[in-house]
Amino acid sequence: MDDIVLSIKGITKRYPGVTALDDVSLEFHKGEVHALVGENGAGKSTLIKVISGAVTPDSGEIIVGTKGYTSLTPHQAKEEHIEVIYQEFNLVDSLSVAENISFGERSGTFVNFSQMENKALEVLGMMGITQISPKTQVGKLPSSQKQLIEIAKSVSRDAKILIMDEPSAPLSVAEVDKMFEIVRMLKNKGVTIIYISHRLDEIFSIADRVTVMRDGKYIATKLISETGTQELIALMVGRELKESYPVRNCEPGTEALKVEELCGNGDSGISFTLHRGEILGIAGLVGAGRTELARLLFGADKLDSGSIFVNNRKVELHLPGDALCCGIGLIPEDRKQQGCFLEKAIDWNCVISCLKSISRGLFVDEEQQKILSDSYREKLEIKTPTMRQLVKNLSGGNQQKVVIAKTLAANSDILIFDEPTRGIDVGAKQEIYKLMCEMVENGKAILMITSDMQELLGMSDRIIVLYKGQISGELRKEEFSQEKVLEYASGIQ
Amino acid sequence: MKTIGLLEIFKKYAIFFVMVGLIILFSLLTPYFLTMQNLTNVFVQNSYVIIAAVGLSFIMISGGMDLSIGYQMSLVGIVTSTLMKNVGLPVAVCLIIGMALGILLGLFNGLMAIILKVHPLIVTLGTMTIFQGISYIISNSKSILNLPKSFKFIGQGYLFGFLPVSVILMILIVAIATIILDKTYVGRFIYALGSNEEAAHLAGIDVKKLKLFVFALCGFFVSIATIILFARTGSGASSTGPGTEFTCMTAAVLGGISFKGGEGKMWGVVVGVLILGILSNGMQLINMSTYVQYVVKGFVLLAAVGFDTYQRESAVTAK
Repeated sequence: MDDIVLSIKGITKRYPGVTALDDVSLEFHKGEVHALVGENGAGKSTLIKVISGAVTPDSGEIIVGTKGYTSLTPHQAKEEHIEVIYQEFNLVDSLSVAENISFGERSGTFVNFSQMENKALEVLGMMGITQISPKTQVGKLPSSQKQLIEIAKSVSRDAKILIMDEPSAPLSVAEVDKMFEIVRMLKNKGVTIIYISHRLDEIFSIADRVTVMRDGKYIATKLISETGTQELIALMVGRELKESYPVRNCEPGTEALKVEELCGNGDSGISFTLHRGEILGIAGLVGAGRTELARLLFGADKLDSGSIFVNNRKVELHLPGDALCCGIGLIPEDRKQQGCFLEKAIDWNCVISCLKSISRGLFVDEEQQKILSDSYREKLEIKTPTMRQLVKNLSGGNQQKVVIAKTLAANSDILIFDEPTRGIDVGAKQEIYKLMCEMVENGKAILMITSDMQELLGMSDRIIVLYKGQISGELRKEEFSQEKVLEYASGIQ
Repeated sequence: MKTIGLLEIFKKYAIFFVMVGLIILFSLLTPYFLTMQNLTNVFVQNSYVIIAAVGLSFIMISGGMDLSIGYQMSLVGIVTSTLMKNVGLPVAVCLIIGMALGILLGLFNGLMAIILKVHPLIVTLGTMTIFQGISYIISNSKSILNLPKSFKFIGQGYLFGFLPVSVILMILIVAIATIILDKTYVGRFIYALGSNEEAAHLAGIDVKKLKLFVFALCGFFVSIATIILFARTGSGASSTGPGTEFTCMTAAVLGGISFKGGEGKMWGVVVGVLILGILSNGMQLINMSTYVQYVVKGFVLLAAVGFDTYQRESAVTAK
């Protein structure tokens, strides 16, 4: 256990506005399964990207075996036998299993198919997988088997360090067991496995050691035999709540939105109510079905069953247009791809959702457009020399304000914010919080999906936690705690 | 500051200055170019192309593509001619049927693109062949000669002795198209759809309905282009029309309609068609061979597209 295959010393990586990794030092031993845990945005993904050469750190050193690097290129990482299995598969669906396993390797000018297939058979045999033929097209395999092909690919390249990012996400319980068997076999062969997972129960059954990260910082490394779920959660959430949140003077009022037994889009059995003057926080880990829920409520995706009531009236939402008519607005998670039209002007964006209402017959009333967009420029303090400016030239915070203006201009009074402050600088964040508070004070209702724990606890009146597409818990203001949220979000309770 | 302003204007209207440059060039090269007679000719010959290109531009701005325009013209033209000449229906009735058929063919394209969830480029590659087949089945590969005089008036006639009917129709169509695009909410929605379909969907726009509308509108404009073309030639054949789609596409790209959608103006398309028209006309007048003309036109397109991309990139790096 003593020989160190990989050590990381003082790695720092800054992005504009955030420090993704802050002086992280960590060691990995030969033949261990080393779990990495932390909340969304704790820096796990950036760390593995540094190790695999996808991201160049600002400072620090990476020592692989005996060689030191200030940064790795993806090619160097490959040469050092560092392999990564990402959440999204890196397989070519149109090629066969054998071709995928040997992908990127060259042996002479021509492709030797029989040699490739033999190699695939050998690797799969070694892993104890006999049910997959090397000739099968990968696109025809279920995702659980694709996962195995990913592992086989790494094994065939003689991986010494194998990084697995949320490998169990697409797998069923039985399949996870099968994967664990293979992981243990690799471990016994001396491969170091860096295992990233949100599911703490898995970590206790597979890992030897576990490292906790928080806010881009290294927190602690524990032997799995000497720790427990409670301790890990305490380490994960030990963050100080340094940001302040605007105080609002309002009490939740009448019911604005009620959903009953909502199913569809991977979610099931979702029921809750949202009141005027209330911010209801929706928590959950990545992939828990939060954005999917937002899209159902906005009519952007199809509902399988269940009912939605707006102001005590049952509504049918087939298209986002229907939702807007009912007063439901969505500020989507990806503002550049979903929220606004980057190549168009600010005023153009502001009125696009309410264009019919500012038109006389077919014709857009430019005067009204100016009045309306200028009023939102003032209310939301959109910082720009002119409203004719293209949205792509604005900062993230101002872009977000444009998206909010667009939604408010459509007369929405039930607002769904999906990650309201993602990628926005601190000052603009405060302004967005202030705006949200003003909205609820004016009798609007807000559903806030967020991965930011501080924001969740600081802004919400009530919190619903999702786990695997279902509500796993609800917290009232006096019950708020990071531990509670994380327990529900990890499916522990 | 002032020089920057001039440069901006030049960049924005570059295509217009290219056209002016060509007019000056050909005026110097040949005395036959800058005459009332010849310029009227250029307009008459190209009015149907402009109308079809306007239709195509709607689709391109919405982020789609239509390769079937040429054979839509062939089919609409043959049906209209057959009804007029072989069935003997009144001209007015045939025109209405022709326009309705144009709208129908456009709707068919749009419907296929929505149902099959395939890019319209591929869809219209298929429907193009279908339209071609039907057109030849109806015409039996034979030309229909001597179309009625009242019909030919649309393509050959003059109002007040000097205003070509086809040019008046063209100006009318361009005006309507410009108003739809620039002034109505439907036009805004079309730009929205082309610049970001997902955001358009989430902004509450009924994307499917809008796509159908755009294709139907294009079909309508194409049917008008067909009527003008067939009326000008005075006879109908299944081979009349095909090829127009590429001229229109070239003109649209020249005129600044982005292939990715979401951008472009109608006046640009008109100038685009006119540039191609002036090039053909001018080169013919200075006795350049047809094949050399193709080579020149090809290079003009590449230069225009290259200039556009270069300008965008320099704008990006300047930031």
